[in-house]
Amino acid sequence: MNPIRLLAGKERLALLQNQRGLAWLLAYSIVLSALAVLLVSNNELSLLDNAQVVYMMAGTISVAGAVLAVILGSDAFAGERERGTLVPLLVAPITPTQLLAGKAVGVLTAWTVMYVLALPYLWAVGVGGQNLVQAIIYLGLFGTPVVLGFGYLAMSLSARTGSVMTSLLFSLIVLLFSASPLLIGPGLRNNVIGRGLDAVNPLSGALNTYDAVIIDSEPFTRQLPRLALVVVWLGLTFAAARWTARKPRFR
Amino acid sequence: MLINAENLSLTLDGSSILHSVQLHLESNQIYGLLGPNGAGKSTTIAVILGLYDLSQGTLELFGRPANHQAVETRRRIGVMPEHAGFYDWMSAGDYLAWYAGLYGGSQRPIPELLEQVGLNGLGDCKIVRFSHGMRQRLGIARALVNNPKLLILDEPTNGLDPRGRREIHDLLLSLAREQGMGILLCTHLLDDVDRLCDRIGIIHQGRTTLEGSLVELLGRHGTGCKFRLRLETNPETANLPDGIEATLLSRDGGWWHLHLDAHANPADLWQKLLARGWRIREIHAEGGGIEEVYLRMTSTAGQPLREAMT
Repeated sequence: MNPIRLLAGKERLALLQNQRGLAWLLAYSIVLSALAVLLVSNNELSLLDNAQVVYMMAGTISVAGAVLAVILGSDAFAGERERGTLVPLLVAPITPTQLLAGKAVGVLTAWTVMYVLALPYLWAVGVGGQNLVQAIIYLGLFGTPVVLGFGYLAMSLSARTGSVMTSLLFSLIVLLFSASPLLIGPGLRNNVIGRGLDAVNPLSGALNTYDAVIIDSEPFTRQLPRLALVVVWLGLTFAAARWTARKPRFR
Repeated sequence: MLINAENLSLTLDGSSILHSVQLHLESNQIYGLLGPNGAGKSTTIAVILGLYDLSQGTLELFGRPANHQAVETRRRIGVMPEHAGFYDWMSAGDYLAWYAGLYGGSQRPIPELLEQVGLNGLGDCKIVRFSHGMRQRLGIARALVNNPKLLILDEPTNGLDPRGRREIHDLLLSLAREQGMGILLCTHLLDDVDRLCDRIGIIHQGRTTLEGSLVELLGRHGTGCKFRLRLETNPETANLPDGIEATLLSRDGGWWHLHLDAHANPADLWQKLLARGWRIREIHAEGGGIEEVYLRMTSTAGQPLREAMT
């Protein structure tokens, strides 16, 4: 059997048979449920436009996916090292790229589960409104490279540092920094610094696209610069992960 | 030659970790890699496995440069790292089958492999329930999953009870003698080396201080072995019989303390004594041999001796 499939299968089993993986999915479902209930029943939030509700839900799903990718990516090499299972992988007849690909498929599997799990929630808050189908499509199109990119970033740090905690800490800082223009409001986002950050920030790229497509009904062609941004982000993080996976820290 | 390592040097983060390590291993041989903690044994193994890039020196595996078709070369090597970890949520059988898949599938049925390492009937048992000794055995099974030509084992008998150690010894001897495997054994246990190894290499402070055939090295650098014997009946004489290549050091109650020259074979001595009617009840080794050579070669006070014998 192809080593990538074997490694990916192991990652899938580790996520779905492991109590931690199931606990994460349960927590994710609870967050989505709580958010959905708030968005449709809270006195103030329920006044939001239907498209805005879908946009908020899509953003939350993307950020949750990035957090899970960071957790799985941090565990990819450093977790194996700490459990003593990295050396057996490194001495097996597989290339570093195959090992990385197996780990990446594991992250993609987790993201796919989250994506599928999110569909009923998106439907629940967005049914009858505008652009629900577009939201689902763009969540897959922009969310996937952003999430996988954060996974690669964490894998890169995991292979370089050999420590789950260090990798997790740095990756989460990058994730929080990426989310900061969104958290600090439109005031800063409209000045030069904010626009500059938005221009290079993959998470902003994805969320601004959701905004533009779901709320403003912009066409696909106007999203191409942002699509290029998230693809470049994916390419850069993949290159970093591939570089560090050649000689990961194993002791 | 399975491993031909000449003057291996490794520098990490500006620090010289290995300098001038020699290692030569052929098929059918068991090679004991010895040295104090932190001497560089596990690092040497990591260099051989390509986990570190060599700074200087030449390394050939199976007669070819080690970096030539490294992935294909790894198909012929079985490895048991010092800290053998597993996916504890898997069963032993599932784990071995999964790991064998990375090599393109197991060369032998998994139950047979488990039986070979003394884990018969435990294929369905979750690894999380395994004791330390069982994990050691599973680590050996993992190293054998691809039926390797070269087996590299880092402290394989750590944590095993005496019976377990003996079983692993017998297994390694049969793998080398009957299946022609070359085995590189990294260990602190000189008893393992004494029983198993044809060749040894002693590493001290990142440098090979001695390498060669165990018999030749003991003959050249050893000063012999001391034994303590108890006989079933005390002989009439107070001395050893004529023609015995041993020196009587003392008699202490019912015990006879002997010194055997480095080149002499203890088994021959026992046979000669038996032939002269000396019926031996107990034999105790009391130092000397490999232990003495090891202590001399890893002494920081002494000048290290570099020697490579073929």
